[in-house]
Amino acid sequence: MRSISLFMLIMLLFSCKKEEPMPCVDETLTNGMVVLCEGLFQQNNSSISWVNFQDNSVANSLFVTKTNRQLGDTGNDMKRYGGKIYVVVNVSSTIEVLDALTFESINQIEMVTGGIAKQPRSITFNGSNAYVSCYDGYVDVIDTASLIVTQRIPVGTNPEGLTIANDKLYVANSGGLNAPVMDSTVSIIDLFTHIELQKVVVGLNPGAMLTDQDGDVYAIARGDYNSIPSRMVRINSQSDLVVDQFGFDISGFSKMNDKFLIHYYDYGSSQSSVALFDPALELVESPSYLEMSSVNTVYGVEYNASRNRIYLLDAMSFTNTGYVREYDVSGTYIQSFHVGLNPTKLLFYE
Amino acid sequence: MRYIYVIGFLVSLPVFGQKDTIQEVDEVTIQHSVAHITLPYRTVRTIITEDQIREIQANDVGELVRKISGANLKSYGGLGGLKTVSMRGLGSNHTAVVIDGFGMQNTQTGQVNLGQVQSDNLVAVSSTKGKAMSIRVPVSSQISGSTILLQTFENTFFNDDTLGIRANIKYGSFNRMDGYLGVKYNPNKLLFSVFGLIRKADGAYPYSFENGLETIEGIRNNNDYQDLNFGGTFGLNLKHLTFRVGYKQKEIKQGLPGAIILYNQTQDERLVTSEKNIFSDLVYLKKNFSCRWYGNANLNNLFYDDPSYLNAVGGIETNYKNRSLNSGVTMQYYLNDFTIFAGIEEFVADLIVDDSLFAKPLRFHNFGILGFSMVKRKFDVHMQLSTQYVSEENKNGESAPDRFRVNPFFSLTAGEFKKRLMSVLWYKNSFRMPTFNELYYNTIGNILLLPEDAHQINYGLSIVPFEGKIDLQIRTNVFINLVKNKIVAVPTQNLFVWSMQNIGKTRVYGLEAISNLKWELGAKWKLQLDLNYTYQRTLDYTAANSPTYKHQVAYIPVHTGNFDLSVYLLNTGLRVSNYAISKRYALNENVVQNEVEGFVITDISLFHKFKFGEKQHLNLQFNVKNVFNKSYTYIRSFIMPGRNFLISISYAFN
Repeated sequence: MRSISLFMLIMLLFSCKKEEPMPCVDETLTNGMVVLCEGLFQQNNSSISWVNFQDNSVANSLFVTKTNRQLGDTGNDMKRYGGKIYVVVNVSSTIEVLDALTFESINQIEMVTGGIAKQPRSITFNGSNAYVSCYDGYVDVIDTASLIVTQRIPVGTNPEGLTIANDKLYVANSGGLNAPVMDSTVSIIDLFTHIELQKVVVGLNPGAMLTDQDGDVYAIARGDYNSIPSRMVRINSQSDLVVDQFGFDISGFSKMNDKFLIHYYDYGSSQSSVALFDPALELVESPSYLEMSSVNTVYGVEYNASRNRIYLLDAMSFTNTGYVREYDVSGTYIQSFHVGLNPTKLLFYE
Repeated sequence: MRYIYVIGFLVSLPVFGQKDTIQEVDEVTIQHSVAHITLPYRTVRTIITEDQIREIQANDVGELVRKISGANLKSYGGLGGLKTVSMRGLGSNHTAVVIDGFGMQNTQTGQVNLGQVQSDNLVAVSSTKGKAMSIRVPVSSQISGSTILLQTFENTFFNDDTLGIRANIKYGSFNRMDGYLGVKYNPNKLLFSVFGLIRKADGAYPYSFENGLETIEGIRNNNDYQDLNFGGTFGLNLKHLTFRVGYKQKEIKQGLPGAIILYNQTQDERLVTSEKNIFSDLVYLKKNFSCRWYGNANLNNLFYDDPSYLNAVGGIETNYKNRSLNSGVTMQYYLNDFTIFAGIEEFVADLIVDDSLFAKPLRFHNFGILGFSMVKRKFDVHMQLSTQYVSEENKNGESAPDRFRVNPFFSLTAGEFKKRLMSVLWYKNSFRMPTFNELYYNTIGNILLLPEDAHQINYGLSIVPFEGKIDLQIRTNVFINLVKNKIVAVPTQNLFVWSMQNIGKTRVYGLEAISNLKWELGAKWKLQLDLNYTYQRTLDYTAANSPTYKHQVAYIPVHTGNFDLSVYLLNTGLRVSNYAISKRYALNENVVQNEVEGFVITDISLFHKFKFGEKQHLNLQFNVKNVFNKSYTYIRSFIMPGRNFLISISYAFN
């Protein structure tokens, strides 16, 4: 009965289960960065990592460690406002509200209406309100004290990025779920009345949005991922007219002081690039700003003013765990931190 | 973003996703030429018999197939949930499923959803990998990587009886109700049979899982299932000639509960499947020559509905109509120790989707096979070449280019029949065509995809140490498989636009150990013990600089095993079934975050057979599945049912 003993042996093998080593995370977060990792659709594996700048250690389950539960499916945005951190979890349709210092859970806002998930995407803030774009065609207004949704502002289809300029909220209506007939407008909402003033046409499939030092609004019209390329456009927030469309390829952008870091991943050639753009002159200052030899798939770039360093998010083909790569402001690579699946947003702690 | 959903859809849905006769015929015909060879040793393989099928009371064929060594079941849920099976790390599209000698086809997804194939009317389930050359198996199925053979009660001729009846009713947890009636009338040279099968369950099973320190408990929503199967067959059995023609239809309505997404239980997608099938064959058996003509036509219609998809029209409703027609001839000619085998098959399929983005593909697939075997007293040799020519026409855009391939198969079997020992060495080269989804699905599809190639080398040893009151068979196989041009989805435009590419390369090193024991303890007691264990290292060899290089491929376990024990006291029996599967990874990267925990599931059934004369019996059975109420998943976030019960009464006449 050799087979039986073999079977017993297998049973033993099955019963061993490895636990993930958990590096210590302090009570309050200092001198490091929080990394939101998107995970993959329908895998419930969105996660948050903590990178400690003191010893360069990485704890890849910060959210679980602090809240004793999982983040959920597809964490899409994360921002700090006042003493709170807001994490927008798209497929789980929640907004996790956390204490900015201790990272302990304050509330989990369920974004469901009439039994249908609203699928929140991005968040921005003004005064006592948080504004959350929801894929069901609304921007939800959440009171930052009570954490209750106080109003739903109807906008275009499948809104994505949000930015504020000149007392107005700009909402990118992607219409992504209507492919191939996507949206191409940005909804402009009065921040006092919460009424949509108008929709301005910016180009097919608008996504991320940003406001520069002069109050100009920039949007990325992502095109159709095929013949229509992804382009950045500029909206004058006084006239609300599109005044510029730039000729370079772009996947996403973020601010570095007065300038923009522009990243682009070319799916055809698998090449990543990061450029430095000057929104005052409306010119690309440096087309190959960061040195890319260690980068696989650029998925975002962020600048940390207190350390004066640049952090590039590397998604590593999207199905493998990613890296955050550190650069100095001359564009020289310094080091990498191994984080979770598809790192997408960063928050820095002094 | 839509494409991400589509990928989810492709992965999680079927979009978007014979024993006796065969053996007897083969053995009888081979015995004509070499009568002195005791052939059972040549055909040692796992066969799940009618009694075992009844004892196991599987929800569907998927649950039965996991009992076969080397099979890896992927199940997305309980009753009606998508279930696919892959053999020895090759991917489920390399496995052909044959029912009553006819191939089950789905050119849209390339795989048969075994969750939608019922087991109540089956009298045998088996699997072949290396074995080739049987006139009863369609050419297209013989030359695939591996084959699962199913045989139904309705489409098998009796040897002597004139009337046969099978009936059962079941009631189980989650409001499950089943009914089946099969009647077969076999007067003189004719066969008339009809069957009807109905199943219903609300599927609202409770589940629980660990979320950090919390235990989440819930009830599965939108998991109801309802199906109806019916059909009839007419047959004619003359001296050398057997003819069958039949029709069957399947109507399924089901909710698609999807993955259990943390904090969001709002799934409301629905799927309606309708399948109509006409089949016919003609078998001619003579001393030195046997041949078979077969043909079948299949119409598969899927209607998918997602009422809360967040697009402008407020929902998605898509209809997929996959039609196929195939016909072939197989023949075998014996001359002393030699056998020549030949076959040809033509297969035509199309897909009509009411989504303007989708292509309108039409595929012509021609299969040819030419084999030769020599059977000697102590060894036999089989050699075979198969050809395939595929030509496609897309009426709604560009077509995939034509493909032509020649694939060899070779096997050498040697036996020491006094010692009841047999060893076999075989090599098989096969491929699977890209599916219509992979070639044409909107922007995901890629018409330039090459077929996915598989090479399999197997060495097997089987021994029968005891026969008689103690009947023991032991088999082992070691195998090395290589998959090239593996079709995988990769993001090509952005994270939301994925596309199919031929970039994967996989190596599989495996071992199977199987033992089947039957033991008659005196006149009253009987014992049966079936054990199998499969070890397979299925490693990603795609790119040396990839973080997943030499990692175990997603969802393929290193260890799987079955441990089934049945004890019988006269007409009462108890069966304990254990199925074990080791840890798997949800993605190719073997890191802790991707781990999907291994599990052992125990099912128990208790049954008693009431006999009424020689010909009739009534079987009363009580099953407890997942006795230890384990929370387990095959696929991450698709939590399977906990402990559940099933009572069944079945009646058999002849």
